[in-house]
Amino acid sequence: MTASTSSPAPQPPRLLVRTLGVILATVALLLIAVFVFVFVSVRDQVRQSVAAGLESGQRIYAAVENRRQRELQSQAATLAENPTLKATIDTYAAEARTASQARIQEWLATIDNELEKVAARVDSDALILADTHQTTLAAAGRLGDRWPRGRPIAMAAGKPSDTIDGVVRAGGMLFRVVSVPLQLADVPIGTLYLAENLDDRYAKELASLANAEIAIVSDGLLVASTLPQATAREFEAAAASRQPDGTAVLDGQSYAFRRLVQLGSTSFYALGSIDESSRAATRTAIRNLALIAAGAAALALIASFWLARMLSEPVGRLSASLAAAGRTPGARVQLARTGSSREVDTLTDTFNALMASVAKAEEETQAAYTGSIRALATALDARDPYTAGHSERVSVLSVAIARELKLPDDDIEVIRLGALLHDIGKIGVPDEVLLKAGALTEAEFNIIKQHPVAGARILRSVPFLLPHIPIVELHHERPDGRGYPHGLRGDEIPMHARIVHVADAYDAITSKRAYRNARPSGDALREIWRFAGTEFHAEVVGALATALPGVTSDTGELVVDHGEQVHA
Amino acid sequence: MLRGRVLFGACLLLSALAAGAQPQETGSIAGHIRLTARVRAPLPANPYPSRAIGRHEAPAAPEIRNVVVYLRDPGFKGALPASHVELHQENETFVPHVLAITKGSTVDFPNDDPFFHNVFSLSSAATFNLGRYPRGKSKAQTFNKAGLVKVFCDIHSHMSASILVLDHPYFAIPGTDGNYEIRNVPAGQYTIIGWHERVGERAASVRVDAGRQAAVDLTVPVEDVP
Repeated sequence: MTASTSSPAPQPPRLLVRTLGVILATVALLLIAVFVFVFVSVRDQVRQSVAAGLESGQRIYAAVENRRQRELQSQAATLAENPTLKATIDTYAAEARTASQARIQEWLATIDNELEKVAARVDSDALILADTHQTTLAAAGRLGDRWPRGRPIAMAAGKPSDTIDGVVRAGGMLFRVVSVPLQLADVPIGTLYLAENLDDRYAKELASLANAEIAIVSDGLLVASTLPQATAREFEAAAASRQPDGTAVLDGQSYAFRRLVQLGSTSFYALGSIDESSRAATRTAIRNLALIAAGAAALALIASFWLARMLSEPVGRLSASLAAAGRTPGARVQLARTGSSREVDTLTDTFNALMASVAKAEEETQAAYTGSIRALATALDARDPYTAGHSERVSVLSVAIARELKLPDDDIEVIRLGALLHDIGKIGVPDEVLLKAGALTEAEFNIIKQHPVAGARILRSVPFLLPHIPIVELHHERPDGRGYPHGLRGDEIPMHARIVHVADAYDAITSKRAYRNARPSGDALREIWRFAGTEFHAEVVGALATALPGVTSDTGELVVDHGEQVHA
Repeated sequence: MLRGRVLFGACLLLSALAAGAQPQETGSIAGHIRLTARVRAPLPANPYPSRAIGRHEAPAAPEIRNVVVYLRDPGFKGALPASHVELHQENETFVPHVLAITKGSTVDFPNDDPFFHNVFSLSSAATFNLGRYPRGKSKAQTFNKAGLVKVFCDIHSHMSASILVLDHPYFAIPGTDGNYEIRNVPAGQYTIIGWHERVGERAASVRVDAGRQAAVDLTVPVEDVP
């Protein structure tokens, strides 16, 4: 019964909110755990796949590079089969020390000229002709001026026996070279070099071949790379201690690297960014996780809503029933089982049992009260032999009239008990006044007139008798306003009091008094009819007339059934 | 026929010169030449070891035949006996590869291959280009200046020959056994040279006495000096 009263303390959250919170928190924790796991495993897998990619890149590069070198070499060999070039070199070699300066210049001019023609047909950065002592004789091409005549050529190769593929430093630049011998009948007379400058453009070409970032480091110095400046510098800084492959953190980014090829002190590295690759994979994973999270949140919302409803709905119904029961005291409240859960049903059953026992206790209490009041009224009636059984009879008659007037059952019950008690105030009237056989003096009559107020005062101390007070207090009021104690008029007098007033008068007339005999029922009715509208309300008198035959015996006496339950 | 007649004429001329000159005491030089350096050294990775057609079928001339033994500045006086020799082009090779002639001699370059050849030289001693000509044709070139003349074919870049033009007749090309002999050398002190176009030359002193044969064995090139 306290459910309807709001407490001033802050209210705890609703069940729905709490359920939703718990479920969402669980889902969030799960998702975070999954995300961390996915992130770590994705990173690990990406690291492996980048390393594997570099390895396959290296293999592809090795195969392609091998073929490219062979193609370059056969191209160079074809170029080297230049009769004029070979004739001039051989003649020059034979006579360089003895011929005239003019002759020598002539030969060198021929060599330059032939080499320029050859260079025009290849896209190498430089084409270099060296004599049998690997001294530069002539150079042509875009970067031919980096190769001055007379400068020896020192090629660094991957293996000491390799005379074909290597790197050469010339004119402050680093070149990748392919060399082929010039021969006359299997006798070497010179060497032709096709040189490719190791610049960023070369690195870019290599990068597209190896499908990775490329860094070329020579003698611990960065020569060219496709990496961003800062990253390349950091790679260069640590290049001296480089393993052939591994991972490194460069400019805050994690890289896997692998040496593609090493020619002398020059190394070609392929690098792959682990972070960049894992970022894409992680982004996909996050997107999928976000979708899952949204779905899970929606599911959680639905589930918690359903769960909360399943719990709160029967509880709410229960408390609503309790509140209703609280508003109408005495009403018998029985709750139906919700069937939502065993716990709630048990609660309902317990509540119903409690309500049943409370109602039973209430009934018992009321029966005890009513019994004692009935005893009181009987005792009161017994003070005067002439009024014995009066209260019981008025009660029965009043109920009959009320039934005739189609009053609700609740009102009839109020009237039944109220009529029984209507003269309770006479307890304070002295015997010499109450039992006086003769006519009453003015003062004595005034004492008598106080009994409705006295009765009301007595009843006011019993809470469940409050509805009966108007009957006790106002059963001597008259429609014409000449009644007592308040002199109310017409409609100001409650229906209960009107009914009891009429019934009281009827019983008084049909009862024997000290000063007169009992008069028959018909006389009484006529007498009352006479005062209908003035002393009595007409409709109540009409109802009395209709109801009387059902409650009187042939002798006109009221039939009082003492076994009748008040509340039946 | 023609070749035989020319040779016969040359012999007549030589005997006439010998008869006409002041009687001079002469001797000869003979010896053995040994090549100690490897000349042909094809590189292992050369994708085109040889571009010559059919050369492997033809027996390659021994490298010792590419050596010339001659006297350095013997101070020859008198009319130089001119010769007329042939340098064939067969199987995309000049045969012989090395030729030694006296100044004023003429060399014929007959083409024995079933395709065109060309003969040209850029050397100081003789710069010429005989142009291209087919099988069966021959072109001649007279060498009037002493020195080494390198001969090439501008169609076949691997073909080459060396003609050593000397201003005296005291030279010889060793036989396949490495033996050589230079006859009719006036008595005196000389420097004798063993020369190979690739591996270089070796010089030695020799004293020629009249009526005697001086023996000089040479190793080409100069052995490493300790």
